[in-house]
Amino acid sequence: MSDSAPAFRPARDTAVPDGETPAATCPHCECPFRSEHARDLHVGEHHDPSEAERARYEAALERERDDLWLFHAKAVIVLGVTYAATVILYMAVLGSFF
Amino acid sequence: MGRARLGDGRRWGRRAVVVVLATVALAGRAAAHSGSLGGSVASATVPTWLTILTGGIVVGGSFLFTTLLTDHEAMRGVNWWRLGLLAPGRLGQVLVPLLRLGAFGVLLLVLATGFAGPQTPTRNFALLLVWVGWWAGYTATTYLVGSTWSALNPWLAPVTLLRRVGERVPSLGRAVGSRSVPDRWGVWPAVAGLLALVFLEVVSPVGQDPQLLAAVVLGYSLVTVAGAVVVGEAWFERVDPVSRVFAAYGRVAPLQRGEDGGLSIRLPATALTEDPLADRAGEVAFVVALLWVTTYDGLVATPTWARAITPLVELGVPALLVYAVVLLAGFGAFFAVYRLAAGKVRDTADTYVTTRAIERWFAPALLPIAAGYHLAHFLGYFLGLAPALAAVATSPLAPPATTLALVLPGWFGTVKLICVLGGHVLAIWVAHSLAFELFPGVLAAIRSQYPSVVVMVFYTMSSLWVITQPYAPPPYV
Repeated sequence: MSDSAPAFRPARDTAVPDGETPAATCPHCECPFRSEHARDLHVGEHHDPSEAERARYEAALERERDDLWLFHAKAVIVLGVTYAATVILYMAVLGSFF
Repeated sequence: MGRARLGDGRRWGRRAVVVVLATVALAGRAAAHSGSLGGSVASATVPTWLTILTGGIVVGGSFLFTTLLTDHEAMRGVNWWRLGLLAPGRLGQVLVPLLRLGAFGVLLLVLATGFAGPQTPTRNFALLLVWVGWWAGYTATTYLVGSTWSALNPWLAPVTLLRRVGERVPSLGRAVGSRSVPDRWGVWPAVAGLLALVFLEVVSPVGQDPQLLAAVVLGYSLVTVAGAVVVGEAWFERVDPVSRVFAAYGRVAPLQRGEDGGLSIRLPATALTEDPLADRAGEVAFVVALLWVTTYDGLVATPTWARAITPLVELGVPALLVYAVVLLAGFGAFFAVYRLAAGKVRDTADTYVTTRAIERWFAPALLPIAAGYHLAHFLGYFLGLAPALAAVATSPLAPPATTLALVLPGWFGTVKLICVLGGHVLAIWVAHSLAFELFPGVLAAIRSQYPSVVVMVFYTMSSLWVITQPYAPPPYV
């Protein structure tokens, strides 16, 4: 279904600042990345990975899963606190709390 | 493949409905809390600042909520879902020229009734059709239903005619396609044209004076037809702000045209997740300008604006200059904020993607915001004057002596808030989907959205502030 994804051209749409060496580059499309982690994910998502690349992609996915769990935990807490704070704010402003 | 895809689409379509309902419920609840404060009715107990803050919280909350949706394939299922309708084929080939001819007839009628019709604004066909029917009502259909402007553009019929004549008459033929708009200008001419049109609308009595309106329409028509004959198709693509506005709004609409010319129904705003803007100068600026001009239109009709401009004009500063400077400065500020955010996205996503590419990539997400704000700004105006337009349209040359105006109920303020918030919630979804297409993995895509969310909260709160202000006629113009 990749026919509907917006077109991204690494040669046009990426630039490495002068004096900086990219931490990793995609072997398929030359796209530069600031971390090997990002490159491994990119190769797995956008290209047909070799066996070694697939292993790295799966390791990267595993790390994403762990980090994402932590992120979601934080997001849910912030959502809950925001909701509660909003309700309390309304109660305070409408005069039925204090 | 097609079948499997449709089945997939249905499955994800159902999930999408749940998601949309959940977000609407979130938005609806907040708006209900704050609803009455926006309108003129009752409860002065909830202050305006709280309405505005609530808007910001809803947008921020919807962002946190969307971060829970991280299945890229599922998101694509929602965004790429479509229901094919019949391809227009031959019917379109017959219908479109007829529609264009009809639209040209309406244009002539606008000119005739503008110059020679009754000069009472609520009885004048030209005024009602242009402002109520076209600028408020028709524009709303371009993002709520689909962009039909390429079939209804009234200037295409005379342009086609002149081109045909040019094939026979050599003196005219030499002018056809004789000039081109320089490539490096991109769509900046349309940006300038849009700002100029809105400036004219705000500072001149073109909204109340039928003859002036007819003169403006005549002038605009002559320039457009001449431009389109001399420059060709590029005129409507890169210079004519009217065509650009409808094309941009049309991308938000559920009715979309495929590359093969067939029509399909999509979920609102999902078509924006497929095409980034063309790689041309001014494309991003046009989207930002579209967002800004509606805000500006609302801003100059607030009591705060009247209070701010009065001392300046009393000091001797020309009022028109103040209006022009604020129009340009506000556009500059909106644009600068957007560019700054795009630069920050580069840091938060930890990527080598250029700022320029990021600007282009995420700009479509601003379109639902512009559409939501347009609807909030014009829906009440349209509904209020639609009965007058309907009465006058039945006999444009001899309209009834009095026309009715609809008085909107107090809860209508809530509808306006929901329009603004709905646009923003769609924008959050579009930006979220686009981030997943641009950045590898999940966390980089989510982190990339922090600056955009701050900007969207800023846009929501400023539009809500404008919307909740009582109407005060712009002074000195």
